[in-house]
Amino acid sequence: MIAKSLHVGAGGRSALAGPPREDQPAIRVAGLRKSYDGVVQALDGLDLEVRRGELLAVLGPNGAGKTTLVEILEGHREADAGEVRVLGFDPSRREREFRARIGIVLQEEGLDPALTVREAIELYSAAYPDPRPAGEVAELVGLGDRGNARVQTLSGGQRRRLDLALGIAGDPELLFLDEPTTGFDPAARRQSWELIARLRALGKTILLTTHYMDEAQQLADRVVVIAHGRVIAQGSPDTLGRRTGEAAVVAFRLPDGVDISDVPVPAGADLEPLERRLSFRTATPTRELLPLLAWAAARDVELEGLTVSRPSLEDIYLQLTEEPA
Amino acid sequence: MILRARSDLSLLGRWVAARVRLTLRNPRALMFTFVFPLILMAVFNGLNSGGTVAAMGDAGGKVAFAQFYTPSIGIFGLASACYTGVVLGIASARDTGLLKRVRGTPLPLPIYLGAWVIGAALTGIVAVVLLFVVAVPAFGVHVYGRMLPAAVVTLALGAATLAALGLAVASLVRTAEQAVPVAQLTFLPLSFISGVFFPLEGAPDWVVHVAHTFPLFHIVNAFDACFAPQTAGGGWSVHDLAGIALWGAIGLAVAARRLHAEPDPHDRRPLRAWALR
Repeated sequence: MIAKSLHVGAGGRSALAGPPREDQPAIRVAGLRKSYDGVVQALDGLDLEVRRGELLAVLGPNGAGKTTLVEILEGHREADAGEVRVLGFDPSRREREFRARIGIVLQEEGLDPALTVREAIELYSAAYPDPRPAGEVAELVGLGDRGNARVQTLSGGQRRRLDLALGIAGDPELLFLDEPTTGFDPAARRQSWELIARLRALGKTILLTTHYMDEAQQLADRVVVIAHGRVIAQGSPDTLGRRTGEAAVVAFRLPDGVDISDVPVPAGADLEPLERRLSFRTATPTRELLPLLAWAAARDVELEGLTVSRPSLEDIYLQLTEEPA
Repeated sequence: MILRARSDLSLLGRWVAARVRLTLRNPRALMFTFVFPLILMAVFNGLNSGGTVAAMGDAGGKVAFAQFYTPSIGIFGLASACYTGVVLGIASARDTGLLKRVRGTPLPLPIYLGAWVIGAALTGIVAVVLLFVVAVPAFGVHVYGRMLPAAVVTLALGAATLAALGLAVASLVRTAEQAVPVAQLTFLPLSFISGVFFPLEGAPDWVVHVAHTFPLFHIVNAFDACFAPQTAGGGWSVHDLAGIALWGAIGLAVAARRLHAEPDPHDRRPLRAWALR
């Protein structure tokens, strides 16, 4: 009720603003630039679109511009140039109704150590138009039995889960998660993944930055890799590899007494001399394997340790971010 | 808009309650605001029982030691809560990223900071009341009904001014580490020359002049006057109250300029830069 009257009452917003329609992206960024002190170019013409209800993982090495990007989207920083629309708002104006519709989970945000978990959730969600009940939120993040515990008594992992609780307590439609599971033990990580997946299933749009490739692989609908202030690759975790043109690695042990020139493998195959491990990258492993297998069968040679492996997101990420800009 | 004003008021109330609760859970704050003034008051009133000192306020003459010392130490507690407490609290809230968290929610920063100021003022006033609750039966301190309204107004205005100055200083210091010496070096020397620990009788003229420049002296002078029986009428020290109000206005102006509360949607940079360091 209040939220609705606020939309009408807030003057001075551009015609683009307002509640996002289903067909409007949750986040749209074009030509985003930001430099610090005119020297460090943190963002250098970045374009990005996040659909409503999508879970997007932003990957990138330290200093790639991830944090700057996220802080601009949250309204904590202002871009030098470019267009930014988040839920139809210009985040740099930091309108209250904009902040009421996003949730932010940053790293290293302070919290009064003497508050209890329940008090913190109630207090920090009080300004949202329609917050979730504190008990329910605590339960959701697995702190249901710690409601009366003071913040200062929580373990590191519990503290991060409380941060997550505070981010979702206002029931926002767009959630920013900055490395939400850094420092978690494996069980807590699984639990957080389940929670994030559940939030996504509720139709929330989630922008997640992470260093963990398995996290992106597990959770994300789409992955964006950022380096040098630009998007250098994007796609679903599974299809991202195709952009590199090297979908698979074929490897096996070269039989003794056989020279590499005798084997029908594509040019550029690599022989590791000690183990005699021969490998090549190919976008069409089926086609490349046919002559190889025929060759082996004709000679009754066993290709020891034959594997066809898709590069993991991690392989692709490392390869992408190592390349000079 | 009316709906929002009402919900903002309840939001403010909620945060003030939380601030008071947090202060009561903070051992350092409890020590300096409640326990330390009580000990000082009990020890010195006990040591000097039966003695008299020059009265603060404009009426001149002498008063029983406890009539001077109890209200003076009360102002010491008030300043600990409203000035030192606000400077340290807000500087550390900014340092630990608490303000950044607040700025990521729809809670307006002025409501958050307002809760700090009101919470500190309430805590400080309760500390003064507690002091009198002990001192009246224990040391025979007299509270004069005719001057009680002036005492209450002085206390409230003093609390507001000290908190406004605390907010201003917090907005000027760069780190929480810096805040500790800045708060102590501004507060302690002033408390010595403002009649908090002993009357200024016999002090060199220049010290008195310096003391008169600052608000703490005026708060002590106006408040103590309300407990000196020779003070005439309702005990209203108009020029002291004017001095306190002037300092309060300066504090608010500096704080508002530095913190730039939200009226203009196009320019919140100073507030942003300050909250994010």
